[in-house]
Amino acid sequence: MAENLAMLGQALLGFMTPTALFHVAWATLLGVVVGALPGLTATLGVALMTTLTFKMAAGDAILILICMYVGAIYGGSRSAILLNIPGTPASAATALDGFPLARQGLAGRAMGIATSGSVLGTLVGILALATIAPVLAEFALEFGAFEFFWLAVFGVVIAGHLTALDDPIKGWIAGFLGLLVAMVGQEGIHAYPRFAYGSTDLAGGIGLLPALVGAFGFSEVLIVMKEPAAHVVKAATDRVIPRLEDMTRYWRTIVRSGVIGTTMGILPGVGEDMGAWASYAAARRASKEREKFGKGSVEGLMAAETGNNAAVPGAIIPVLTLAVPGSAPAAVLLAALFIHGVRPGPLIMIEFPTFIMEVVAMLLLATLGILLYGLLLTRPLLYVLAVPRERLMPVIFVLCTIGSFAIASRLFDIYVMLAFGLIGFVLREMKYPMAPLVLGLVLGDILDKSLRRGLVLTDGSLVPFFTRPISLVLWLAILITVLLSFSAVRQALARLLSRRRAAGETGS
Amino acid sequence: MVKADFVTGLVLVALGIATLVESLRMPRFVELNVNPYTVPGLVPGALGAIILALGAVLFLRAARAGDWRLAERAPDAVPWSGGSGVRRVLLSIALCLAYAAGLVGRLPFWLATFLFVAAFVILFEWPLAADRSDRTRRVLWPVLLAAAISAATSFVFQEIFLVRLP
Repeated sequence: MAENLAMLGQALLGFMTPTALFHVAWATLLGVVVGALPGLTATLGVALMTTLTFKMAAGDAILILICMYVGAIYGGSRSAILLNIPGTPASAATALDGFPLARQGLAGRAMGIATSGSVLGTLVGILALATIAPVLAEFALEFGAFEFFWLAVFGVVIAGHLTALDDPIKGWIAGFLGLLVAMVGQEGIHAYPRFAYGSTDLAGGIGLLPALVGAFGFSEVLIVMKEPAAHVVKAATDRVIPRLEDMTRYWRTIVRSGVIGTTMGILPGVGEDMGAWASYAAARRASKEREKFGKGSVEGLMAAETGNNAAVPGAIIPVLTLAVPGSAPAAVLLAALFIHGVRPGPLIMIEFPTFIMEVVAMLLLATLGILLYGLLLTRPLLYVLAVPRERLMPVIFVLCTIGSFAIASRLFDIYVMLAFGLIGFVLREMKYPMAPLVLGLVLGDILDKSLRRGLVLTDGSLVPFFTRPISLVLWLAILITVLLSFSAVRQALARLLSRRRAAGETGS
Repeated sequence: MVKADFVTGLVLVALGIATLVESLRMPRFVELNVNPYTVPGLVPGALGAIILALGAVLFLRAARAGDWRLAERAPDAVPWSGGSGVRRVLLSIALCLAYAAGLVGRLPFWLATFLFVAAFVILFEWPLAADRSDRTRRVLWPVLLAAAISAATSFVFQEIFLVRLP
């Protein structure tokens, strides 16, 4: 512990240079703006920023990406409160209570609550990252091919289930399509080019970043252009400085939402959006003033904003320790780490012993950034929100195009971006979630190699896949998730429980 | 949305079958004495089968709801968004494809970007113009914006990030 604290102190001192602080300042600000602008999500922001920073030194680039990520998830609250349009999907729950507060003339107070919730949520998440990640990395050293295989399946199934709760099959379809797309190109054991049909571009595989820029950038441009224009901007009238009373009164909600948000972040592919929704639902269930939810509840707003920001460090935990992304923006971060020569995974504490604490330090700086901007940046952000989409969207698309191209300087990546944009647009119009697709793209290679390596180790026997202790837990979790998605199973379970409860009551 | 599921289900079934067939056709490297559990087609084949199954579930569910009558419209069916939304999306797709798949790579990047941004803003903002002087403004501003964006992106990527632009 003392050793970790010393490492953290050293990492923080290392960032106390003018250059690093300058990067924190502009990247967090840009993140807040990206998050606040409807149509620009955290995933897109981090993806575009990766293409812009890939020639920088590794430390600077990763610092910028993390500030962008934290800033964007916070920034989404601004448009949710002022326009009733979540700036990122993660702030959808924020709009439920934030906008009613703004309509009551309390926009400033709502923004203050959002700021304090986001800051405290990130801090809870950071605490979890600093304590859990080193332990999890050590635990993950036990993982072999069998466990990584199940982890990949678990990720896609659980992400598919939780991001499409009313119709999990759509989430699973998205996830398995992602896995299938990841199969394109040379595979890792015999270097056979799958689904390449003689094309050297296809043999190289589908790049994660162009695909993400398409699925989150181009398709978002189309979705924004489809919606009718929104022009309601509320000016903040009251003060935006967070009130101590709001924080002390709802400390239980803050802690609960922080823990729920972090947990949602850790689960593969289930990120900030679910962190906010799950915290909001839990806060509502536990609240004494339940009737206020949806009509301008301070508690609801606090829960949503704490939950989504706590998921950010949470989502980074599996990125660093298992190389499995906790959310869509974290998937981009994972790709960026590989680009910059950091190899996340179980060996991280051995190969890069100081890296986890460096990330903790970066997150702390980004949190400081959102706190400062949360207090200072009220009016300027209103002007940014007033930029008409007809002017913003073509600029975004130019950045999508050039960003896809810049990584490898090949036109093929631009076509990948276009294809994923169109497919992503159609899928999103039909209510398929994008996060499992992204997760599938990232996990495809792990799944492929782990299954085949495992089979070689056991000489074709499937038994160890089911009997090794960690594998057992993972496949049981997958089975339960799948079974619970059938309404017949849920009903039978409910009947069984009520019967047992009735039997217990008569017995006692 | 159920009708969409019916069609999507069919598409997924077709995709699953195609993937399965292609995976079976992948080489097994028997002549190289390769361990049979490492053949390249194993995982894609399994994924193809899963997608086939999921597509079949989606298809059957929609079919049971009576959605094979594709030509009929349910009385309460919501058309795929309002007319103007669809028009805007189609125009956006046309402009974006023309730029990224057509102009980029054939024209110098700065020129392609200038044309795209100017055309996009003018085409979308022109109908909003109130009178003649407003219309002139609605052409002038986009041209200035396009010039600025084109210059800024070209400069930043070429001079600072050292990317050789198409």
